[in-house]
Order: sequence, then C-alpha cells, then structure tokens
Amino acid sequence: MPTARFTAAQISLTRRLRGMPFTTAPGPSAARSSWIEPTGIVVSGVSRSFGSVLAVLDATLTVPAGSVTALIGPNGSGKTTLLLMLATLLTPDAGIIRINGFDPATEPERVRALMGWMPDTLGSWPSLSARAALQTTGRMYRMTREQAAVRADELIRLTDLTDFADRPSRVLSRGQKQRLSLARALVHSPSVLLLDEPASGLDPAARAALRQLLRRLGGDGTAILVSSHVLAELDEMADAAVYLAAGRTASPEQVAAAGASARAWRIRSLDETALDRALAAPGVLGALVMVLGVDKLGTLVQVENEASAAALLHNLVLSGVPVCDFGPAVGNLEHTFLDLTRSTIIDSEARE
Amino acid sequence: MTDSRVFLSGLWLIVTLELRQRVRGPSWYVLLGLFMLLVGIVTFLLWLATSAWLSGGGGVFSTIIFFVLLLGTLVSPALSGNAVNGDRDAGTLATTQVTLISTGQLVFGKFLAAWITALAFLAAALPFLIFAVVLGEVSLGTITVSVLVLAAELGVIAAIGVGLSGILTRPLFSIVVTYLVVAALSLGTLIAFALLGTATQQQATNVSYQVVSSTFDEATGKQLNIVCSTAQTTTSNVPRFDYYWFFLAANPYVVVADAAPGSFNDAGYPTDLFGQIAVGARSAQVPPKLYTEYNGCDEAATSSYDERGAFSGQAFEQPPTAQETYNSAAPSWFIGLAMHLVLAVAALTWAWRRTQTPTAHLPAGSRIA
Repeated sequence: MPTARFTAAQISLTRRLRGMPFTTAPGPSAARSSWIEPTGIVVSGVSRSFGSVLAVLDATLTVPAGSVTALIGPNGSGKTTLLLMLATLLTPDAGIIRINGFDPATEPERVRALMGWMPDTLGSWPSLSARAALQTTGRMYRMTREQAAVRADELIRLTDLTDFADRPSRVLSRGQKQRLSLARALVHSPSVLLLDEPASGLDPAARAALRQLLRRLGGDGTAILVSSHVLAELDEMADAAVYLAAGRTASPEQVAAAGASARAWRIRSLDETALDRALAAPGVLGALVMVLGVDKLGTLVQVENEASAAALLHNLVLSGVPVCDFGPAVGNLEHTFLDLTRSTIIDSEARE
Repeated sequence: MTDSRVFLSGLWLIVTLELRQRVRGPSWYVLLGLFMLLVGIVTFLLWLATSAWLSGGGGVFSTIIFFVLLLGTLVSPALSGNAVNGDRDAGTLATTQVTLISTGQLVFGKFLAAWITALAFLAAALPFLIFAVVLGEVSLGTITVSVLVLAAELGVIAAIGVGLSGILTRPLFSIVVTYLVVAALSLGTLIAFALLGTATQQQATNVSYQVVSSTFDEATGKQLNIVCSTAQTTTSNVPRFDYYWFFLAANPYVVVADAAPGSFNDAGYPTDLFGQIAVGARSAQVPPKLYTEYNGCDEAATSSYDERGAFSGQAFEQPPTAQETYNSAAPSWFIGLAMHLVLAVAALTWAWRRTQTPTAHLPAGSRIA
C-alpha cells in the first residue's frame, strides 16, 4: 500500500524533473504585465573567472516566469558568482544573460527595477528596525513615503516579523534576519526573484512558510531561482533544477541519466520478519532489484528504476507484508546531485 | 518627478540613512558634549590669557576656529573612513546597489553625511564663537571667511575619508590611511617645508667697505679725507624657504588662517592667531637676499652732524612690518584650498569608479555582497 512518503505529489515532481527539467511550462498567470512578455531568466554560455580561477564556465539555464527553479551544486561550484551576475553586480566575461529581456550588464537599472535579490550574507543596517529598513529599501525603489510604509507593513506580516518589527535589526536572530532579508528582496514586488540560500537558519515552521510563499509567488508568475544546500527542501518547492558543478551547468541528458540511475529505496514493515521472508522468497525481487542491507530505519534495496520499484511494492503487498513505508532513501535532487557530483569527480580524475 | 528630483530624493535618502546609521545614539551626544566642554575650557583660559576684555575677541575667536578644525580632523576620519568598505563588510552595500540608488547617489550621499557630521562640531562651537565676537574687535569679514573656509576644509577631510573607503578594501586600513593623509596635511607639510627649506642652502655674499681713517671737519660736521678699506667679503649659507612655500600653503591650518582678512594694530602687528600664522606663511614667499653690500665710506661721506650733534644722512633701512610683508605676498590660501579641493574631488571620483556596478573586477579577497 502506498504510504505518506510515496505521494502523488512526489511522483509528479519526479516526472517533471525527468521530463523537462529546463523548460517547465509557464505558470497559469505568467503574463503579468500586458505590455512586456516576462521571459524570466535566460542564461546562455556565461563564463566568469577571477584571475586564474574559473568560477563559472559556459553556464546555460532558463527560468521561465512562474517557475521555481533550484540551483544546486557543491560548495565553490559558482552558484553565488552566477547569482551575482544575474543580480547586476558582476559582469560576465562571456555569454548572454537576459532578465525579462534586459541585459544586467548594460541595462542594470531596468533589471534592478524588476529583480529581487536575497544575498547569502545577512546584511542589515544594524541600528534600523526591520520596519525602517523595509521602508528605506522601498524608498530606494522610488516609492513614496506612504507607499513604502504600506508595503513594509505588508511584508512584515507576510514574513511573520510582527513581533520584532520595531527592534533594531542587530538584535534579531539569524532566522529573523533571514526573513528580513527575504522581505527586503520582495519590497518592489519583483517579477524575477534570486534567492541565495534562503532557508539556512530558518526553523521548520519558517521553512514551511517560505516554501508556501515561493510556491505562491511562482503561481503568480514570478520567475524564481533558488540556490540551497538543503536539497530535501528544494525537492518540495522546486519544479525544475539546474545542477552546477565546477562552474558548469549539467546538460539535460546528464541530469536525466543521473536521475534515472539505480538508487536506494527504503522499506519499512510492521512485521520485519515477514518482510525478510518475502524478500528472500523467489519471484518477489525482480531482476533489477537487490537487497543492500538492513539498518535501524528499515531495509535498503537497490532499485534500478521506478518501474521495478513499483513492481517490488506490488509483490510485497501481494505477499501479505504489511508495508508502512516505501520510498527513495534520498530525495530526487539529492540523488541526482550526488550522482552528478560523483561523475564530475570521476571525469576530472579521468582527465588527469 | 523629473530626473534631478529623483536624484536628489535618492541622495537625501542615503544621507539620512547614513546619519541614522553612524551618528545616532548616546555615545555621539557624549562626544559632542565633551567637545563643547573642551571648547568652553579653552575659551575661558584664552579669555584670561589674552586679556580679551581689553584687547577684544580676535585671539579667542581664531583659536576656537583652529580647535574645531583640530577636533574635526581627528574625529572625521573615524566616522567617514569606512563609509563604503564598512558597508561592504556588513553586507549592506550590495543590497543598496541592487536598488535604483545609483553609485553617484551612494558615494556622494555618504560624503554629504560625513560632512554634516563634521559640521556638527562647528555648530557645537557656535556659542563660544558668538562669545568671542561679542568681546569685540572681530570683523565681519573674518567671521564669514574663516567659518566658510573651515567648513570647506572639514568637507575636504570628509571627502578624503569617504573616497579612501571606496578605494581601499579593508575598513581599518582606509581609516588609518585617512588619518595619515590628515597628518600629512597638518604636520607633514610643516616638516617637509622645514626640512626641504633648510636642506636647500645657498651661499649669500656680503661685501662691505669700512672707513680706515678720516678727519672730522668741525665747521661742516662732515668727515673729510676718508680712506676706505678694500672690499671685505663674507659669505654665509641661507636656507631657501621661498622655493617650498606651497607646502605651507597646503596646510589646512594655514589655509584657514590665511583666508581670513588680516587684522593688524597700528604698529603693523597681527591682532589674532590667524594674522600671525598668515604673516609667517607669507613671509616664506620672500626670497632671501643673496648679495648684500655695505659701503661705510659712502655713508661717512654723505652723513653729517649739525651743531647740536644730531646725525643726518643715510638712515638704516627699516625691515618691513608684519603688515607690509602680509600685503606684499600672494594670498596662499587660495592655492592651498584649490589643492585640497582637487584632492577631495579626485578621491570621490576614484571611489565612485571603484564602486560602480556591475563590476568587472572584484577587490582582491573580497566577496562583493
């Protein structure tokens, strides 16, 4: 019997990740303004080096309006550099970047007017309260004093900062500063949102709220690019993913191959002996399944693909095993990420 | 809104943000209070020392102005020297740069805020300046010019501080360099002037002719049959301070002092500290005489004593009075202030270029967020 872990949502996410990881269809209300067709983020062949260090090399990705796209890569893979180039702070050495059609290198002001950026560093004016900081940011986007005040109140409610809104921001905790930073990125209701590690330092409730907020913004037609290390988080909010390793974006084929490769699934049963017995019985394990071992959380099996996983579950249930948990041991993004990272290391070793 | 209105409102937003960030809070008011206390003590002591109730407030006024300049140059680098790179360290620079605030608004706003902060010291010294004016003998010209030039000099220091904070990456380093620039202008110019002047020695020659013997004619009171000595040449080394007077001109204290219209008493002596410094700085412009000749024989031949024994003839040349020296030299404050303004504009322009986004270069070892 399928359980809470093996949900319809997960299957559909998996399908979307497999099927079209780079070109998700725009959300329902993609056309936000009638006169500019928001095209979201388009990055093509972008490179950037610092001296002899290649930070980003030939990166290519698109984030259409209405999509929440995850930017995934190991430490030092160029995620922040890529986001800085998108955020009009750094010029690329080569390649094309378009934010709703505008080039951040030559038309930074037009890009800034429609782009919100949440940096990975938690900068806030220490002596200003959260409310004053948001009002000031609003006025930096040329809002009137009244507009900025109204917007600041909205954002304080949205990011649940009401209790801390009038304290100087230097006394805020990390998670509270993180929420303030998110609120600041949203001040001018941007149609393109760049978030660098938005979930770090957030408590589970705030993470859930963030997830919900990003899904809603995506639903409203905002193009969102999120970088994060918390891959399980991204699994639940991203509808597409971009993998960055050593400055290069993985090609769709690589991603599909990595996502489809054999992976560990975890099975838990109310009756462990019945499960062991069923797995040992002939015909239950298909040709593409192999038992890896048993740990405290359940039994791990290596499954070649989802079809064989479905067949295994079917057989177990038919054998009368009371299965209460049946799902991938690691999330989709993490699985793909680890697989891609591994193959990058193997590649570079092979080159040497 | 027009473009200039947009620019100015953004600029003012940065100014107020800076002021709220940097100078609000009790410690700032304690500092201003301490400053007022110091100026008060100095005013009282000067009042006693210069017998100001008799001689007027010129000395008190000029010293207070210098005191404000001293305190301003000591405090301003600490408040302005990390304006840009301190924000970069705190992670608030990039979040401002991705808004519609331009780099010009950012850098110039930070400069204005630093300047206003320094001017607060001038405002705090105002009661004492008024007291000095009330004591009398301070001309309206001196008041206006010295306050304006002092304000300009404080602006120059603020601009250098903000400029260096945009040019250099490390806040501590840029603050130290700002202090070094202030020290170079305030003390370094004096040291350079003195050392260079004394190191550039030139030989000055003095030729004199003395009367060896003569007879005195009682009837005419003149000397007759004058036998003259041969030329007696003495040489000495003299320093050439006149080559280096612009070093003095670059000193902010000299600029303030020299800018104020000189006030002199009947004997031609300056009545305030400004005048004394200005006379000193301007007399450095006068080249030394490298050849002097003294002819005692001519003097003896042309001079005479009348029956009452009174001497008539060539009188000794009177050295020029302080006032004459002052009036004959070029006003150096103009050159000094111009040099300072060029320095300030250059620092701010360079900082503006370095802070432009999107940037092609990252400061070494720094993340731009």
